[in-house]
Amino acid sequence: MTSLKLLILALALLGSPLFIVIAAVALLSFSSVDINISVVIIEMSRLADTPLLLALPLFIFAGTILSESGTPRRLLRLSHVLLGWLPGGLAVVSLLVCAIFTAFTGASGVTIFALGGLLFPALIKDGYTEKFSLGLITSSGSLGLLFPPSLPLILYGVIAEVRIDHLFLAGILPGIFMLTLLVAYSMYKSPVKKEQQERVTARQIVTGLKEAAWELPLPFIVLGGIYGGFLVAGEAAAVTALYVLVVEVFLYQDIKLRQLPRLMVKSMMLFGGILVILAASMAATNFLVDQEVPMRLFEFIRQYISSKYTFLLLLNIFLLIVGSMLDIFSALVLVVPLIVPIARGYDVNLIHLGIIFLTNLQIGYCTPPVGLNLFLASYRFERPVIQLYSATMPFLGLLMVTLVIITYFPLLSLLLVRFFGG
Amino acid sequence: MNTMNVNQLVRHILTFEKRLIDGLLCLLLVAMIVLACLQIGLRTFFSGGLLWADALLRYLVLWCGMLGAVVATREKKHIAIDVVGYLAPERIKPWTGLVIDLFSSFVGAVLTWAAVIFVRNEALFGGSPLLNVPTWGWNLIFPVAFALITIHFLLAIAADIRSLTGTGQ
Repeated sequence: MTSLKLLILALALLGSPLFIVIAAVALLSFSSVDINISVVIIEMSRLADTPLLLALPLFIFAGTILSESGTPRRLLRLSHVLLGWLPGGLAVVSLLVCAIFTAFTGASGVTIFALGGLLFPALIKDGYTEKFSLGLITSSGSLGLLFPPSLPLILYGVIAEVRIDHLFLAGILPGIFMLTLLVAYSMYKSPVKKEQQERVTARQIVTGLKEAAWELPLPFIVLGGIYGGFLVAGEAAAVTALYVLVVEVFLYQDIKLRQLPRLMVKSMMLFGGILVILAASMAATNFLVDQEVPMRLFEFIRQYISSKYTFLLLLNIFLLIVGSMLDIFSALVLVVPLIVPIARGYDVNLIHLGIIFLTNLQIGYCTPPVGLNLFLASYRFERPVIQLYSATMPFLGLLMVTLVIITYFPLLSLLLVRFFGG
Repeated sequence: MNTMNVNQLVRHILTFEKRLIDGLLCLLLVAMIVLACLQIGLRTFFSGGLLWADALLRYLVLWCGMLGAVVATREKKHIAIDVVGYLAPERIKPWTGLVIDLFSSFVGAVLTWAAVIFVRNEALFGGSPLLNVPTWGWNLIFPVAFALITIHFLLAIAADIRSLTGTGQ
């Protein structure tokens, strides 16, 4: 039994699809206690009782369309016109645009590939060092995960069964705080301008605004719809998908009608990859909960740790390791069901816990040795991974600072929820 | 039939399966968007809505996800921990690939079997039907998708063996 599970673990490390690995563990566990294996599918079929799930495929579709269209280019041009004059303007622009873009597309590497390719040469041209530019882009690749309508945030809500509109609110202040810190650092590191910068004319601003006129309302559709009480998350996703479809295909015509099926299939493939992991882990974690593993784990930890804050510290270390090994969706799906009961035992607010989770997993993306962003950037910019390790270090340090603050000042996450959470 | 014809036939079937699933996915996705937006419209303007729409939407999500997983298997785009992939020498990769595909096919087959039992039980004791389709009909996606996933893993094994023995297509 144990040896079989070790074998499965070895196969997981070899690179077997995670859903196969998790399903194998679930099948093995249930059959070991003489429960019919069809229970695994019963657990999976419970996904059809989750209305929140609708938000995932639709936001993934909207994100795929956005990243294949001219949106990154337009967004970048507009923010450059508006903010380029600031000290460290271009770096600030990069951070903001990456954050917004990642919020809509998820940290799927799209940000590094689509925006990084535009930003990196521009940063170098503006006189930033290569090291700084690489570090900035690599760590921005997952920036914005705390902002609505981020997919991992939705997935956390689905698994932990907390309100998604509350999670969206909770992410805003910590996200802004993180951005502010990175913006301040970028301004401090910005090169001294040699020549007088060209002035931005009013006409350029108008052109930029006009160009992106159809894309600017997007955040307001999502946020306004949800907090105005008109839409639930799934519906907001449907409206966003429809809006993006109409705007990019018919108004901007960035995406030809015949390209559309390919993008649809691609986005449903991404969703399918997440859904089967979610389905398999419904079964696996349900077995663990049935066997009261989280409770036993809690009692075990309780013997050594009595303080909530020590628990949170340990949780952070654990999640950083998980985040650097697993991709964000599988990490959420596997770890959240086990941690939630323990966190309840320590009286941690589940909304706050969600923000802690996401911050950790976001940082995990750029943590050596195997953080995904490091490899994506290494691949995209054709630099050795080692060089990216050192380039991201200062950014990683700053993100760690925000992590500590987010963890130990729950109010930062919960303030907006208290005011607007209803 | 000689091998040439069998190969051709397999290829025809695979092309047909790809088109069918891709087409179905597009259709389901469009249906989700339209249905969800229609619900909002009906609620906003007529303070009404279709009673069955929410349940149907949830099944559509499931169908999209499961068929999407079939595509992910076909395109070898499943999420995996790829530590060894970065570290392993190029030479042993075809072998690890073969081991992984064997393991995946086996688990896929067991899942298919479990799904068949599940659907059979649903047919016997299932809940209330939606749009006149009984719950086992809606849950039919599980055995179908897992069977297709298994087939794609089996095809991957065949490809692995071909590349290991050096008999390219």
